[in-house]
Amino acid sequence: MTDESNSASLTQPGASLGGGGSTGKENHILSFIKDNATLIALFALVIAFSFADDAFFTARNLSNLSRQVTIIGIIAVGMTMVILIAGIDLSVGSVVGLSAVVCTLLLQAGLSVWVAIPLTLLIVGGGIGLWNGYWVAKFNIPPFIITLGMLTIARGLALTLSGGSAIPVTDSVFPIFGGAYIPPMASGVVLGVFVILSVFSVFRQVQQNRQYGIAVNKRELITNALVLIGGFALAFYVFTGYRGIPMPVAIFAFIAFAGVYILNNTRFGRRLYALGGNEDAARLSGINVFKTKMTVYTTISVLAALSGILLASRLNGASPNLGIMFELDAIAAVVIGGTSLAGGSGRVGGTVIGALLIGVLNNGMSLLGVVTFYQLIIKGLIIILAVWFDVIQKRK
Amino acid sequence: MSEVVLKMHNIIKDFPGVRALNNVNFEARSGELLALMGENGAGKSTLMKVLSGVWPYPTYEGDIYIKGDRKRFANTKEAEDAGIAIIYQELNLIPGLTVAENIFLDRQFVDRFGKIDWQRTYSEAQKLLDDLGITDFKPTDMVQNITVGKQQMVEIAKALSINAEILVLDEPTSALTDKEVKDLFRIIRKLKNDNVCMCYISHKMEEIEQIADRVVVLRDGQTIGDVTPIGDITLDQIIVRMVGRDIKDMFPKKQMERGAASLEVKNLSVSNPDVPGTYKVKNASFTAYKGEILGISGLMGAGRTELVEGIFGAYPQQSTGEVLLNGVKLDIKSPKDAIDSGIALLTEDRKALGLFLNESISFNTTISSLETVSSKILGIINESKERQIVGEYVRQLGVKTPSIDTLIGTLSGGNQQKVVLGKWLNSKPEVFILDEPTRGIDIGAKVEIYKLLNYLVDQGVTVIMISSELPEILGMCDRILVLCDGVIVSDFERNKAKKETIMAYATGSAKGRAK
Repeated sequence: MTDESNSASLTQPGASLGGGGSTGKENHILSFIKDNATLIALFALVIAFSFADDAFFTARNLSNLSRQVTIIGIIAVGMTMVILIAGIDLSVGSVVGLSAVVCTLLLQAGLSVWVAIPLTLLIVGGGIGLWNGYWVAKFNIPPFIITLGMLTIARGLALTLSGGSAIPVTDSVFPIFGGAYIPPMASGVVLGVFVILSVFSVFRQVQQNRQYGIAVNKRELITNALVLIGGFALAFYVFTGYRGIPMPVAIFAFIAFAGVYILNNTRFGRRLYALGGNEDAARLSGINVFKTKMTVYTTISVLAALSGILLASRLNGASPNLGIMFELDAIAAVVIGGTSLAGGSGRVGGTVIGALLIGVLNNGMSLLGVVTFYQLIIKGLIIILAVWFDVIQKRK
Repeated sequence: MSEVVLKMHNIIKDFPGVRALNNVNFEARSGELLALMGENGAGKSTLMKVLSGVWPYPTYEGDIYIKGDRKRFANTKEAEDAGIAIIYQELNLIPGLTVAENIFLDRQFVDRFGKIDWQRTYSEAQKLLDDLGITDFKPTDMVQNITVGKQQMVEIAKALSINAEILVLDEPTSALTDKEVKDLFRIIRKLKNDNVCMCYISHKMEEIEQIADRVVVLRDGQTIGDVTPIGDITLDQIIVRMVGRDIKDMFPKKQMERGAASLEVKNLSVSNPDVPGTYKVKNASFTAYKGEILGISGLMGAGRTELVEGIFGAYPQQSTGEVLLNGVKLDIKSPKDAIDSGIALLTEDRKALGLFLNESISFNTTISSLETVSSKILGIINESKERQIVGEYVRQLGVKTPSIDTLIGTLSGGNQQKVVLGKWLNSKPEVFILDEPTRGIDIGAKVEIYKLLNYLVDQGVTVIMISSELPEILGMCDRILVLCDGVIVSDFERNKAKKETIMAYATGSAKGRAK
């Protein structure tokens, strides 16, 4: 399922907004590698791990992998927006912990899930997001500082509310959100619908380009088609082969699609690119900078709170230490996905690929029995490599 | 006859798909000022980069001779060692260091333990300033505390400290006040006496007349005609060389009937946040009418930009006063409010405040009026409508571009400005304020912009134009306000305005408000 979200994003009309365009007649293969470096790296890793360990390329493992990716992935979609406006949010990991604690406490207090979850999203996600956004947007304090402060505040709140210990959940409905599966049959139907929609959207894009007189880039079209076919084939294999689409994966896919659509096709998305590209010009062009920043910081906090709830649901309980260092994984996914920390350029599609890359690395290395200490070192090196590649590519 | 110190011979420089320089040939002599003229995009900057080693040999073809020796610089250091110093439009000084430290940056005098010899640094810097006859700042002054004009002197002193024999000045007066320009010219004359060879890049004809010895014109990467002594060529002939054709009517002014009062400004003040208690604009009151172009003149720093940005709501915390449109008082707290009320402002600093350089023409055109191309509530952008609208502006305004998806950063200044104009036209303004709309764009594009202003006035838009170029103000405006130190000191009708009188008011030597 996660695979379609990235493939579809590649075919979105605005994909050229942040991505490097093709350079014409120069070496085709080289420019192809440049344009799709992260995707190729992901592909190579999957193949390498598949050969290295038989357990890797199985429906069961890949299904679990996709579920592991969702928690960071959902946050990373929000982080893409924050980084796009040249901001940062370091508090998301703590928000995950706090929202897990608050939601489980509300359930313990006897509230129904249908009340507890929205309430958590509102209080924890909305509250912290508005707080962060207000300081950043109103007083122009660097978001790094504000959200660094919130990182400790939210963690402190989580520890205080929980008394420092884990909170179990007894509600019977709650575990569904993070743990259940859409049955294989239904999953197959859902995927089928998506295949049809994707083909339709690619077809329509080509037609529109013709109509506007934009040359249709055949190479790009073929790449997209291949990725699309490969992605769906993989998704069919994984999700119909093992219990169906996991609920959190479905939620993540929805959020990723929404993120891609909003950035490419709405006023709000345009404003984010404008704000990140040139804040002064954005203000003088009549963009309400305050409101836009508030919205972005609130969105990411709500998404982080949602991640916390899904995590608590999967674990059937919360611990105040949930989500530690998640902010770094989310930022890494965004950066590996090609979004510039300087703001103004980036795509949610890239972020999804980045999140998958990190997920595959974690999963594959664990399967191979690589010691966690080494895993950290390797992950760090990959992040540095990805950014280095991005920088030298842009310098040209 | 003085010695030829610099000779550029058949210089060719290619970029992917473009030949930026195509057989450039000229020579410059010691003790002379050679004016290098050309429109934007003519290749002047590229030429300077070849000369200074930014583009090393063999990324270009042709030969550079310094005092008869062929030089092939591998980097900027080698060019510097050969005695070439370039003073770019954007100065390369470090604001948080002193004048002396900037002059000797990376070449400080140190004792044998590596400690900086401050005594010597300051006294050597003082010597250089004395040589240039500079008395109004000291080596110990912080660069951030002196004016741009003085900072330029620091750059010149720095160039002299490396014994530069060839000094290239790239549009040195673009940010200077009149007095600073005079000081600069005094120093240039002194350098001529000291046998320094200077290449002077500029658009400004009056300057060239004043200080150039010879002139060479660059167009489309080629030198047009020979290096010509300034006495042997008229300004019109220079323009013909630059543009490649005669500009018959530089200011195509159309006279129109003055209509009703449109924008009224009453007692607008903008305080100076850096110095509490002082004002950048003080009690400015004026009225702009339909059917006329209102010009705002004044020196750099007189508060022109602050006045219009104050009207536009750019400094809600710092400004007081009233703005009325068609007799109705407006409550403008942000540029968004101003735009919603029907006011548009084309900013002076196009790159920093007007453009999104990494985005397309299309993006830049619709960004301040996204409502016109998107659904009301959800804000979903209608791509085909957007393409149609943007395509229409690109066609109407004559933007030269392969497609509306082209990144705006790759266009020339004139074409960029046309896109910015399109962006504001799409917001359908009633009052269109243009702050230096023709700065840094070529003559052909200037005339097109003047024609557009005429058209807008004809359509009932109230046009207000700020300009530093008096010929432009006198040629195009019906009424002219003059600002001096944040105060509107006079208000001329077009037929009563003269260059000298405007200057007298702008410099503060004439007082009072003429009617």
